[in-house]
Amino acid sequence: MTETVAQKPKRPLPKSRVMVAAQTAKVYQDAWDAKARGEKIGWSTAIFPQEICETMGIPVLYPENNAAAISAKHLGDDLIAYAEGQMRYPMNICSYARLNLALAEKIQDPAYNTADPLLPSPDFVLLANNSCTQLMKWYEQLSHNLNIPIFFVDCLFNYDEEKPAAYKVTYIRKQIESYIAEMEKFSGKKFDWDKFLEVQKRSQINSKLFDDIIQLNTRVPAPVNGFDFFNYMSCLVLCRGKESTTEIFKQLKLEIEEHIANGTTSFPAKEEYRVHWEGIACWPNLGHNLKTLKNYGVNAVINGYVTAWNIVYEPGNLDSMAYAYATSSTNSLTTETIMNMRSDTIKKFDCDGMLCHVNRSCKMMTFHIFVGRNIVEEKTGVPCSNFDGDQSDSRVYSEAQFETRVQGLVEIMKENKEAKNG
Amino acid sequence: MVNLDSLFNELDTIAVNPRIALDKYLVSGKKVIGCFPIYTPEELVHAAGMIPMGLWGGQTTPSVAGQYAPIFTCSLLRSCLEFGMLGKYQGISAALMPMLCDTYRGVSGAWRVGVKDIPLIAFIHPQNRKLAASREFLAAEYGAVKTKLEAIAGHVISDAAIKNSIGVYNAHQAAIREFCEVANDHLDVVTPKIRHTVMKSSHFMEKGAHTAIVSQIIDKLKQLPIHQWKGKKVILTGITGEPDDLLDLFAENKIAVVGDDLAQESRQFRTDIPKCGGPLESLAQQWLDRTACSTVHEVNSSRGKLIVDLARKYGAQGIAICLMKFCDVEEYEYPMLVKAAEDAGIPSLSLEIDQSTMNNEQSRTKIQSFAEMI
Ligand code: SF4
Ligand code: SF4
Repeated sequence: MTETVAQKPKRPLPKSRVMVAAQTAKVYQDAWDAKARGEKIGWSTAIFPQEICETMGIPVLYPENNAAAISAKHLGDDLIAYAEGQMRYPMNICSYARLNLALAEKIQDPAYNTADPLLPSPDFVLLANNSCTQLMKWYEQLSHNLNIPIFFVDCLFNYDEEKPAAYKVTYIRKQIESYIAEMEKFSGKKFDWDKFLEVQKRSQINSKLFDDIIQLNTRVPAPVNGFDFFNYMSCLVLCRGKESTTEIFKQLKLEIEEHIANGTTSFPAKEEYRVHWEGIACWPNLGHNLKTLKNYGVNAVINGYVTAWNIVYEPGNLDSMAYAYATSSTNSLTTETIMNMRSDTIKKFDCDGMLCHVNRSCKMMTFHIFVGRNIVEEKTGVPCSNFDGDQSDSRVYSEAQFETRVQGLVEIMKENKEAKNG
Repeated sequence: MVNLDSLFNELDTIAVNPRIALDKYLVSGKKVIGCFPIYTPEELVHAAGMIPMGLWGGQTTPSVAGQYAPIFTCSLLRSCLEFGMLGKYQGISAALMPMLCDTYRGVSGAWRVGVKDIPLIAFIHPQNRKLAASREFLAAEYGAVKTKLEAIAGHVISDAAIKNSIGVYNAHQAAIREFCEVANDHLDVVTPKIRHTVMKSSHFMEKGAHTAIVSQIIDKLKQLPIHQWKGKKVILTGITGEPDDLLDLFAENKIAVVGDDLAQESRQFRTDIPKCGGPLESLAQQWLDRTACSTVHEVNSSRGKLIVDLARKYGAQGIAICLMKFCDVEEYEYPMLVKAAEDAGIPSLSLEIDQSTMNNEQSRTKIQSFAEMI
């Protein structure tokens, strides 16, 4: 039986989104062009000191971000199957890694064009392990399979509540210094310290602007559908040190301020409940997530993932930069630290609940949820609900389970609201 | 006069039930520090006059660990957390935990909320090991561990004491390596299980005492005529090759283990502690010298080569990859290992190591057909 479904007219994308798409396309194109000219291009982990290659004008692309984009377009399954099949990677490793390791092999064939966006093959990789140790293993494999060098900044893990001790910061700072010298040798380009300072300053402007934007969503009702923020993460991952990101963020801020002035919002329903979303998005299932949340009037006004790229330091001070890279990722801090931060955010954003993505790929994020949800519940009194999913592997997510968990959370939030309102 | 059997039995009792050793030390008034695997600087504990006791979990179906540890936590740390939460490690004064992988990062938090009676002393190894800064960092990190251990011991740990312990540990490693060599001349006596027991038991004993027993074993083996092994030979690689029943399957199929790259076994004993600077620098340098291990960052890992070389050196017909369930660091290296074996024309076999089940049926079938193939 065929059915004709009346297509709802799509809302035009806001200007800031169009700008993001253009910026991302340009970054990819620049890398392809450089490759065509015979220049070296790199792949990098998401929270690596990008300032150095940015300063040197060396194109860099980001596999985590790329894997997310491919998964959101439902183009990841074949790659994941290839990694587990022909390449023999076990299915328990991070799905970004599986997807990307397969892609890295596939693109060696110039005729391959199935994935989108398509990355040029790297001549080197940039590795920081502040998000997890799987990144280290993943990049070791890239380096091994493609026979290319790794530039590594080991960012450690803050296993105690205290701030990183001076000797830890020194170790990281010395690695950054050594990386700059090595990159000069590898690329044959001179490092321009004045330009570096400018890039650092620009990165700070962008981080600060994004933070200001996020804070606008503390308003009730929120001017922004929290899921929209996922669309701007690429600015911070790919282009943290670029002026074009500043332009995009300024535009985004204008759009949000307009919503505030007009009393409108980009959330497509009446905001009945506000929740904190914990974890990465389920990229292949974003549509279902959003539809379900919308049906229940739940706006995920804030999530910890989009704020992980705010790398705040004092430009010109390498120790301060090292410190920032050691502490910015959610996964580089203890559960207690993270969950205390989450509790504060929940209060600040006036959330009624927390929805936690138990991400099959990401052990660290899942541990934070398992170990730390009590902390949030105790500190904030809001209910937490878990659901199973994966950022790229579409086999893990269950629409029915998601729906049930959201429904369950809504019921408790409703009771709480009724009790509060007498 | 003690014979080989009684020496093996002594070690077996401890390897099978480390609690016996733990209680013995506690009763004698010793303080015991739990040491999560691997590459934990036990020498500092030893130098403090306390007993470093390996925490390797055990075969158990977790009933409480799931509260904090998701189902995809490696089987090893899930069972450790389970034992901790159930009070099976009671009496231990603190636990040293290396942040070697994501599971450790996560379990450090789980341990703190789930096992409140055993304080955690976490620490981290530098993974970027090329720079001089790495050694400085690790020496400082070990210094921080030392300070925490001193608080528990109630006295300072002198450089002389650490140097002495380094001597004890280097001598122990040498003894284990010699045992592994000598064992290969007596594969009729040293079954896969016995080979494993000798090494595993070392994690629950004061190393000097263990060296004494291993030395006796070596002497007694040397007195026996060299045995010409007619069966097959394999190399094991992975985190552990447990449980004993699994190793017995090799024996049943006339397969001897002639070398290993197991984290619980030879990986720990193949890198000496060198002399360099102060004793903390020496301990740090040992970490920087380690290679061919999934928990250690190495560009172009030499592990594939290592297992192939081991197989060639000892005339092994096959390599068994013992894949710890949900151990991602090992899982990333799996394709590379299979390929290294393939390229060398050596058959490989993959076995799932799971501490949460006693069921070895799948492994039985696999080992049987492997025995027929090699
Ligand atoms: S999703 Fe998690 S495991 Fe995968 S790369 Fe990111 S932080 Fe690491
Ligand atoms: S290295 Fe593997 S077995 Fe060891 S703790 Fe980590 S995940 Fe578990």
